[in-house]
Amino acid sequence: MREKIFINDIVVKVDAMILHQGEHDYVRWAVSSGLMSDVLTTEETEILLISSLSTTQVVRTADMVGANAILLCCGKQVSTDTLSLAQELNITLLSTENPVFETCHLLSEMFYKEK
Amino acid sequence: MPHRFPISTEKSPNIIMEVILRLKIKDAMVTKVITAGRDASMRDIQKLMKKNAISGVPIIDHDRLIGMVSVNDIIHALDKGHIEEPVHDHMTKSLVVLEDDMPLSFAVSYFDKYSYRRFPVIDKNRKFVGMLSSRDVLSVMLQQLNLEIKELEDKIVSERVELPNQIMRDFFIKKFDFENAGKASFELKKVLKEKNVHAAVIRRASVASYELELNIAIHSDGGRIVFLLDDEKIEIIANDTGPGIDDVEKVTEEGYSTANEWIRSLGFGAGMGIPNTKRVSDEFEITSEIGKGTSVKSVIYLEKKNESQ
Repeated sequence: MREKIFINDIVVKVDAMILHQGEHDYVRWAVSSGLMSDVLTTEETEILLISSLSTTQVVRTADMVGANAILLCCGKQVSTDTLSLAQELNITLLSTENPVFETCHLLSEMFYKEK
Repeated sequence: MPHRFPISTEKSPNIIMEVILRLKIKDAMVTKVITAGRDASMRDIQKLMKKNAISGVPIIDHDRLIGMVSVNDIIHALDKGHIEEPVHDHMTKSLVVLEDDMPLSFAVSYFDKYSYRRFPVIDKNRKFVGMLSSRDVLSVMLQQLNLEIKELEDKIVSERVELPNQIMRDFFIKKFDFENAGKASFELKKVLKEKNVHAAVIRRASVASYELELNIAIHSDGGRIVFLLDDEKIEIIANDTGPGIDDVEKVTEEGYSTANEWIRSLGFGAGMGIPNTKRVSDEFEITSEIGKGTSVKSVIYLEKKNESQ
């Protein structure tokens, strides 16, 4: 099983805002896509879902693959529906002004640690 | 001409008759009504009408309805120079009224019988309690029919019978209802968790059901999804009522999609739904007929032999 990466460290790294603090304080891997069907193919568990979409279906998708947190990029406006679904399903919801590529770049070293 | 009921009692569904017989006039009437007393002048009424954009004012004396002033009465008063005189002498005194305990069907026939657009409503003590317009009837009917339809839908849900040792869940999915797409899968996930099913299996079942649920919302005219869970396997059965797929072989290929830009902007419609479902299923079947609908069955075994626990 992959190592735990703490959500608080991610928040600091990409200068994210915590919109909802969910059940878990860590993730084990990250998946980034604007296509939810792609996300559904992942085999990884307890992931951070990075996306530039902010619809309720992003939260639903995160729930289906058992993601621990969602990071919305590009400072996208988050609807109250999306936020309340994250609260209902108790999945951490973060938002950053950074675009997807920059976000992934900033986070990559946390996930690809040199042993 | 003999009076007839304006709704065909033979051809309309029973439910409409039931609703208008069950509902009372008091369920539909408006109780906040702008009224005036007997000492008001016709001019006062005219100003009241202008200010509130209304076309009729009931005249009340000690809770009793003693008359109505309509726009016609105002025009008449202006014409004859009575506009500054008290309403009492110029209002319409012979009124057709409804009683609040009467069934709504009574009001419907009154609207047909008389040319008035609204009726004053009194209670059994002849106290004035409200006004009823055809608009009020319509809006309360729509509300009630919505409730009735919901109840009917819920009834269909419980039609299928669970076998012993089987858990069954049945959900309706409406066309383009993205707000609720995913709810069925969420419920499935909950049931599987309660049954202590292995996490990897829960995940595969969730993905299959979610993709199928979204497919119904995106591509079909609406449908339902049924989950059947026993000790051995979970079956996910998705049925829709149309429009059907002309080439089912094609949709099982990755990348084949007929989704529009709007669907794509939501993060779906890349032609991965069916391939994804197939990938996570142990058994997979799809049948479709143009004009009839599509049926997909996905079976996932709770314990796969080569899957590590």
